[in-house]
Amino acid sequence: MLEALACTLLGVGLGTFTGLIPGVHVNNLAPLLVGAAAVSGLPPMNLVAVIVAMMMTHTFISYIPATFLGAPEAGTELSVLPAHRMLLEGRGYEVIRLTAFGCLGALVLSAALALPLSLVFAPAYGFIQPQMHWLLLAVIVVMIALERSRSGILWATTIFLLSGLLGLFTLDTNLVKGDVALMPLLSGLFGVSVLLLSAVHKSNLPKQNVDNPEPLELRANVKALCAGTGAGVLTGIIPGIGPSQGTVLAQLATRSSGMRDFLVGVSGVNTAKALFSFVALYAIARPRSGAAVAVDQLVDKVGLNELLFLIVVALVAGGIAAVLHLKLGKLAARHIGGLPYREICLVVIGGMVAMTLWYAGMMGLLILATATAVGVLPAVTKVKRTHCMGVIMVPCILYFAGMKDAVLSAFGL
Amino acid sequence: MDEKSMAKLSLLCSLTGLAAIYAAAMQVRPTMTPIASLNDEFVGLQVAISGQVVDFYEHPDGHLFLKLKDDSGGVVSVPVFARVRSELGEPIEFLDVVQVKGEVKLYGGEHEVIPGRAGDLRVVHTAPVKLSGLSRENADVPVKVQGTIVEREILGSGSLLLTLREDGGQLLVFIPTWVIEDGLPELHVGNVVRVDGWLQLYNGELELKLKGASHLQVIEAA
Repeated sequence: MLEALACTLLGVGLGTFTGLIPGVHVNNLAPLLVGAAAVSGLPPMNLVAVIVAMMMTHTFISYIPATFLGAPEAGTELSVLPAHRMLLEGRGYEVIRLTAFGCLGALVLSAALALPLSLVFAPAYGFIQPQMHWLLLAVIVVMIALERSRSGILWATTIFLLSGLLGLFTLDTNLVKGDVALMPLLSGLFGVSVLLLSAVHKSNLPKQNVDNPEPLELRANVKALCAGTGAGVLTGIIPGIGPSQGTVLAQLATRSSGMRDFLVGVSGVNTAKALFSFVALYAIARPRSGAAVAVDQLVDKVGLNELLFLIVVALVAGGIAAVLHLKLGKLAARHIGGLPYREICLVVIGGMVAMTLWYAGMMGLLILATATAVGVLPAVTKVKRTHCMGVIMVPCILYFAGMKDAVLSAFGL
Repeated sequence: MDEKSMAKLSLLCSLTGLAAIYAAAMQVRPTMTPIASLNDEFVGLQVAISGQVVDFYEHPDGHLFLKLKDDSGGVVSVPVFARVRSELGEPIEFLDVVQVKGEVKLYGGEHEVIPGRAGDLRVVHTAPVKLSGLSRENADVPVKVQGTIVEREILGSGSLLLTLREDGGQLLVFIPTWVIEDGLPELHVGNVVRVDGWLQLYNGELELKLKGASHLQVIEAA
């Protein structure tokens, strides 16, 4: 019991580290822990506790660099723009509180739903998966139609197609290894492009309102929280659907457009997805995240006892992570105000370029530059940045429709 | 610079970048890779390989683990997970030639090529060899044969020795006890069976030793 608690705390520490450092993900550390299991002699369930706690903590803490540095990663990319906008209004700490609320609320809700929903997972999975490309296509059509004006629709379609081609040419070819292309893609579309434009317009960050933030009202955000949790559950069982697509679904379902609702929703999706990627191990015996793959390798079979253990660890880690998130976020907000913003932006951009070079080489740099050029378009044409999600949605739709190979062949790839 | 000009410039940069990425992707598209050349540099990349199934193992959960060997002399593991296998329209048998497209991964220090879906696998079935064409020189060679059971002998240890006949040729098939206990179907004289495995010499006679129950199929009952 004490050992499991110590391992949970270790996982919280590791998750805080991966969450705070842009470009470092749980998936980088989880395989090392699986390797450690073989030589350490530690009971596998203790290492499972480390991985689950690390994953859950990461989903909270990663909103700190996303908010204050505009450094996105898979799952937080859509939060960058509203979070950044609020930061420029001196409301960075409010973003931290909203994402803490979204993450923790979704964790508690999804933990409560895990057991009953796991019973209907298998049939639901069988029903949804064959229709997934139609569902995604419908989401895209609605997303683009919501631009209303003719030029808005035209630009939204152009941005979606450009992002989609970018995703197809980089994620499904041998340009860079595995999923490494995701880093320059997301950094360019949602990070560098945002920071570049901000650096042009703003010289200093305003003092952040840390001491009198706007109060959080459960009732006002409960719709976004429930929608986020629902979308997170869906994305947790269906492969290829990320938190961002889930957020788009949640937004459409709740018709919410405010920044506060959006941030609660997107953080809820991310955390619920993280928990349900483990629940999927019990319900459909399939891992749905890098961390879940590691757990799958450590445990022969995830039964009811193992699932309950995972949920308890996730709840304990989530509780601690929420407090850490608020404390660290407050610290960041207190010290970032008044700093030379343009220089900070340039340093962060430099960091992203260096990370890209390190992970993906010169080809990564080309991908980053192209993604940045596409990422600038929504801001200058006044359409939603969500259309850049074509980068993942187009390859996903083609995969689910069974047309990816045919399309790549048509391009001669 | 006004927003209209910014939009035009961004669009131009996007299209130029995309064209450059497309041209680069064309340069690195996967071509048929000799298995012997697969090394750590390929890990994480998509490759296409083609080789003959020289070993396979069926996991109780439905996964199929193949070993493919090609003319380069290299052997590589190809795990076909249950989900992918269930989508395959046809079974994969020993000595079939299989073309695989998939990502190279390192598992337990060995390279694997993992197909993501059934469409990444193409199977060319090989026909069974004629029993009359087999001789002692074929010892230590993998074969797939088909014939009628003309004799069935239970050995002292509980093992089974079958005599297959086809077109005037004949071959002994040795089935160890553990294979019989591992779900081997009931076999009777007169059954037409297809068997695959490695030929060996035992007491100077050529015989095929069955490695597992899945290496024998009853084609026609007696």
